[in-house]
Amino acid sequence: MSTNTATADPASHRLSDTLREAASKYGLIAVLLALPVYLAISDLISKGNLTDLGNNLVLGLSNGAIIALVALGYTLVYGIIELINFAHGEVFMIGSFVAFGLWGTFGISEGMAVPGMIVGLLAAMIAAMIVCGGLNVMIERVAYKPLRNAPKLAPLITAIGMSFILQNVGILWRGSSQASVPDLINQSNDLVTIGGVVINNGDVLAAAVTIPLVFLLTSFINRSRLGKAMRATAQDPDAARLMGINVNTTISMTFLLGGMLAGAAGLINLLYQTSIWYFQGFQAGLIAFTAAVMGGIGNLKGAVLGGLIIGCIGQLAEFRIGAEWTAVVVFAYLVLIMVFRPQGLIGEETREAG
Amino acid sequence: MRFNRATALGLLVPALAFGVAACGDDDEGGGGGGGGNVAEGTTLTIYSSLPLQGTSRGQSEAVINGEKLALDEVGGKVGKYTIKYVSLDDSTAQNPGTADEGKTAQNARQAVRDKSTIFYLGEFNSGGTKVSLPILNKAGIPQISPSNTYIGLTTDEPGSEPGEPDKYYPTGKRTYARVVPRDKIQGAALVSVMKEDGCQTATLWNDKSVYGAGLARNIKQSAEQNDLTIENEQGTDKNSPNYRAIASKVKSDCFVWAGVTGENGVQVYKDVAAANKTVKLYGPDGVTEEAFSNPKEGGIPASVGARTKTTVATLGAKDLPGSEPILEKYKQEYNTQTVDPYAIYGYETMALALDALKRAGDKANDREAVTEALLSTKDRQSVLGTYSIDANGDTTLTDYGLYVIKNGQPTYSKKIEAAVS
Amino acid sequence: MSNLRGLLKGKNNLVVSLVALGVAAILPLFFDPLSNLTNNFILAAAFVVMALGLNIVVGFAGLLDLGYVAFYAFGAYTIGWFASDHFSSVNGGEGFHIAAGEFASNLPGIHLNFLVIVVVAVIITGIAGMLIGLPTLRLRGDYIAIVTLAFGEIIYRFAVNGDEITFGEGYKLTNGRQAISPIDSIDLPGFAPFDSAFSLRPFYWFCLVLVGIVLLVNFRLRDSRLGRAWIAIREDEVAAASMGVPLVKTKLLAYATGAAFGGISGAFLGSYLTSVNANNFQFGFSIFILAMIILGGLGSIWGVAIGAILLSFINTYFIPEVFNEVPRKIGLEFDLTILNFGIFGFLILLVMVLRPQGILPERRRALELEGVGAGDAIEVRAP
Repeated sequence: MSTNTATADPASHRLSDTLREAASKYGLIAVLLALPVYLAISDLISKGNLTDLGNNLVLGLSNGAIIALVALGYTLVYGIIELINFAHGEVFMIGSFVAFGLWGTFGISEGMAVPGMIVGLLAAMIAAMIVCGGLNVMIERVAYKPLRNAPKLAPLITAIGMSFILQNVGILWRGSSQASVPDLINQSNDLVTIGGVVINNGDVLAAAVTIPLVFLLTSFINRSRLGKAMRATAQDPDAARLMGINVNTTISMTFLLGGMLAGAAGLINLLYQTSIWYFQGFQAGLIAFTAAVMGGIGNLKGAVLGGLIIGCIGQLAEFRIGAEWTAVVVFAYLVLIMVFRPQGLIGEETREAG
Repeated sequence: MRFNRATALGLLVPALAFGVAACGDDDEGGGGGGGGNVAEGTTLTIYSSLPLQGTSRGQSEAVINGEKLALDEVGGKVGKYTIKYVSLDDSTAQNPGTADEGKTAQNARQAVRDKSTIFYLGEFNSGGTKVSLPILNKAGIPQISPSNTYIGLTTDEPGSEPGEPDKYYPTGKRTYARVVPRDKIQGAALVSVMKEDGCQTATLWNDKSVYGAGLARNIKQSAEQNDLTIENEQGTDKNSPNYRAIASKVKSDCFVWAGVTGENGVQVYKDVAAANKTVKLYGPDGVTEEAFSNPKEGGIPASVGARTKTTVATLGAKDLPGSEPILEKYKQEYNTQTVDPYAIYGYETMALALDALKRAGDKANDREAVTEALLSTKDRQSVLGTYSIDANGDTTLTDYGLYVIKNGQPTYSKKIEAAVS
Repeated sequence: MSNLRGLLKGKNNLVVSLVALGVAAILPLFFDPLSNLTNNFILAAAFVVMALGLNIVVGFAGLLDLGYVAFYAFGAYTIGWFASDHFSSVNGGEGFHIAAGEFASNLPGIHLNFLVIVVVAVIITGIAGMLIGLPTLRLRGDYIAIVTLAFGEIIYRFAVNGDEITFGEGYKLTNGRQAISPIDSIDLPGFAPFDSAFSLRPFYWFCLVLVGIVLLVNFRLRDSRLGRAWIAIREDEVAAASMGVPLVKTKLLAYATGAAFGGISGAFLGSYLTSVNANNFQFGFSIFILAMIILGGLGSIWGVAIGAILLSFINTYFIPEVFNEVPRKIGLEFDLTILNFGIFGFLILLVMVLRPQGILPERRRALELEGVGAGDAIEVRAP
């Protein structure tokens, strides 16, 4: 049965408890802010401007937007069945592969007329979303559903197995090396420069796709019948079942949604990074998972916030410490959050956090 | 449960003793090592060990094709000996595109075990040779690498690590040679090209492999001697999706990355080119291949390619007339229009091995005599030009070719006059 | 299967262990001393040691550790640091030697005898295991998995980038992907030095002795008070705690013991492969070992040993040597070796879905899984 540690009676709060609570609630935010604030001050002193910091943050936000899209998939699934869908990063990778394959089919190439390209890319995105959604549902059926009554670690292990299988599908599909893809949107073109801070096409694209998708998703989950069923299932699957909600369908639909987001992220990633690799999903998946945890796993807004913050942390670390240490910084954050605030920035306390 | 430590150990120790006794037997009857180091029979085997999985596959296949071509030219025979060619893979699924230690050691041991082994051609990666060389050296098997450039394999010149190269030669005798000039020369070649193009400052990144890190040290050293300021040294992580943050730091005249394509080289050059629209881009032989230069093969876009120059220790046909017929033959034999620069190295690796066998004459089955013949190669006229192998096993060639990218192909531009000190 | 299980009960373990090890010890005599098969046996034996270590953490104590590769790395770097010329100017370039072999005793750097290295590796990895375990103490289930995974990745990056961290007289922490090499060969007092260029058999026999010791320790631990405490924690942490099992100490000891086995095996592999390369410490390795214990049967000592041998041979023999050409024969343009990890993934998936108790299940777990439904949905969500 549930092993929640009983929350202390509010009346018996002493000062130390209040302090500890405040520290745990805002401590993480303070720690997260400490780095950029420190960098801003040191930049101001040494260079007299904040251009570098501004550029880092712009790149961080656009990288973060893509991370956020992937993180949403983790959070959706975790929210409903408390399972880390380890294969989600690979679904995202397959999304990139499908979208790139369709460029060829649709004849999308550099130097194409803009309206044609937009239609083509939208079609590729929708196709990638459908394929990835379907794939994610299939993964659930094959790898997780048979284990719903098994010990909790079992589906996590099959998720890892699934993730390796999908990576190999990627290898068979496009070989094992990184490849460059045509830069359709001229992503490195400087669109606006404000006080030395450069915003280019890629940054705008990342924002332009992520923001509407997130809004659509949140309103869908808040308003639609299915969204309500999802929230009900997340809260208590048995009660939901008693209320006439088809829990299995609801779980499948959640996976469908998560997969579709991964598919969209796959296409955006393709346009933004202009490269494709069978292993891209693994690293992105871990980082996105960190983001989801940071925001509070199971919480949609948290995942987006976490994605943006992790994007910025990554870019700051890359710029200040060195590209080879970025992953260390991100994973160190992951460990710190897990240990000191497993419920994340704005998440509810989960049972895991006990 | 009377299963205590004493009884178990008591029963396990005999197993060990048994093992050591058997080990003693091996030493007496074992093959290799010491004086009687003669291959048996009239068939001699030449092993090739290259990474056949991952990104290096194209280059490895070019080397193998070149080696086979050279062997075919002599009809697969030297004197009274028939030559057998065996190609091994030194990479694994876990370590694709590079030499996996375990697999490399296994390949070397396979060659040692085979009493007919007379040559071992490999590895492609300097890091792999670090593993296979000591094993082969103990068995006295001569080894030639078609591509190693890492300086510490043969000399203790600056850029090598303490203890190199002696630690790779446990017998104290040299058994290794290479057909590509060591990185000291490539480093000097790259620096002299950058100076020639008017660069005062250069950004230097590397891929952190044995090859990349070693070459970066040599570039830096040569730059110091030639008044080229190196800025912003940086190691890159293959798994990074992009390098935009560090690319935005590139403010110098030139940019050079010491690495191989498989270490996410394409992304490195794309991001640097995008972040700094004027920086001139340079690359070593590790990126002089179609997988890097051809957008259709997932390489850099033509706009970046136009700004990129690379160096390889192969001169084009116009500066090396001797290579033309071989190239033609290669194109015919393998039905291809383009010849990877490494095909020439592969060809010459095998040709050098066969030449050493020929010079060893009747003793072509004697590994010691063959090694001696290999290391005393003098003024050999080859597809790479005329060169000798010095006592360290290094080629005396110092020619480096400058390549530009045309239609996605690395295309020979001119010979580099490098100031090697 | 139940007969087999009966056979392995109680004292029979001793008999079975000795017969198995005895048969295993004779095996290489049928092959050339440098045979690839002997090489495969050695790797299999080394992986058995690692898998048995991970089995303590995952199988006994139920803590899903996805960063086990970290302990391989610590063990390998222990031998990299203390049995090579890595710290080349120690003692004024004279080197520092403790019972080092004849060849190594003239080299610069630190050279300790392999037996000393094993002790040092056990200490270092044991401490590392506890340090990595410490942050996970309050967490449960998949959160532990993620934290250990993150640690594994962090350690891997430190291994790769350790060549940038210098201290003392320009010593590097690691040598990154340029590898610390060569590593001293094993040189036991009273025996001829091991030399992988002439015969692999001594390495194999030595590793078999390690396997024997590790098996012994495993059986003793499983049937000890500590072992029962681990299993109690795995079954129900709260119940275990309320029955007086000290959670912190018990969990940390699981991490430390499991890590120590990984360290021993890592040190052995470092010496056997003669090099310590950061490339070898990637996430895939953790999964490789995890797949072994899942395949064999979580918590079952014999099952894990069999799983390790099986998967090791699939990796080193069946995929690259037996079935590698199969795809080409049916007209597909690839070698089977590139699908290595996909095949492991598939095996994990298959075993988990069809036979979650593994090939040779642990008795307790088999009973649970054969039992009625093993609980309802509510229990799943709050184990």
